[in-house]
Amino acid sequence: MAEIIKLSVFRFDPEKDDKPFMQTYEVPLLKSGMKLLDALNYIKWEIDGTLTYRRSCGEGVCGSDGLNINGVNGLACITPIEGLKQPIHVRPLPSMHVIRDLVVDMDHFFDQYRQIKPWLQSESPMPEHERLQSPEDRERLDGSYECILCGCCTTSCPSWWWNGDRFLGPAALLQANRWIVDSRDEATGERLDQLEDAFRLYRCHQIMNCMEACPKELNPTAAIGHIRRKLLSRKS
Amino acid sequence: MRVVKEPGAAHSGLSDWYWQRLSAVVLALLLPLPFFLLVAVYGGAVDQQGLLDILDHVVSRLLHTILILALIIHAYMGLKVILEDYVHTIAWRIPLIGAMLVMMATFGIWWLAMIWAWI
Repeated sequence: MAEIIKLSVFRFDPEKDDKPFMQTYEVPLLKSGMKLLDALNYIKWEIDGTLTYRRSCGEGVCGSDGLNINGVNGLACITPIEGLKQPIHVRPLPSMHVIRDLVVDMDHFFDQYRQIKPWLQSESPMPEHERLQSPEDRERLDGSYECILCGCCTTSCPSWWWNGDRFLGPAALLQANRWIVDSRDEATGERLDQLEDAFRLYRCHQIMNCMEACPKELNPTAAIGHIRRKLLSRKS
Repeated sequence: MRVVKEPGAAHSGLSDWYWQRLSAVVLALLLPLPFFLLVAVYGGAVDQQGLLDILDHVVSRLLHTILILALIIHAYMGLKVILEDYVHTIAWRIPLIGAMLVMMATFGIWWLAMIWAWI
């Protein structure tokens, strides 16, 4: 008989339930190296079809299944069941408005991403072919471009819980820095202007939950530090 | 596409952050000095007249002034950040920060008056 995995999953259907509750499920260990998403899929397909969650690629590239797993944010598809304390508590990303079960409203998160203008801004004439970049300049984007915008970092940040309406949060600021360090982007000044704010940028208190939570092992705290040094060197 | 009403950046915040760090460095350098003095007094190395001579010296007065200014700036910036974190109603936040500023300035002026024996 297969080994049994115990899960305790957050359930909430605003059309039916007065308040959220935790529901217990038991899932057989299907294979070695089984991931948490496999267990959720088993529940959805074999036990309880009403369980709702987001998923797409299933291999840590799309960033759809950011969840709070045993109190720590991460992607269900790349979190191995092995090593998780049971019952595994699966909750939606913290501080987010729950649409249903594990699905949260990401609108504000993506609005904040849009606010940092995450596209190349350049005034020099369009070259005939692509805009070239030296291997060294390209290397400076390592540690930023890998971000998949899953929201694990931003929703783990206490400062964003308290002031998320104004503080842009680690994910958006990591991307803000990505365009500041890009050798092809010519809007560094305007980008810094748009970040120089006691709330938008400086609400980061270096709690570093973002770094702990990132499933891609990126470091938004370091990126925020880099933006601060840029602002400081501009004024001194 | 959802359009957000976004007030944009206030173009300030760097100076708060800068002064908080600068004052932290000054405090790290100067704050141990009064404790050394205390240890010297309790250890018997300095008597009361010696203590008064040290405190009266113009260099100690200057260092003391810099220390108290750094302390007030650092405490004000830190408490302001805490109030901004937790007090979300502007009608409360601004009066609280203002009241704190007045209280700290009063305390600082009183302390400076003692250092320089104005009264």
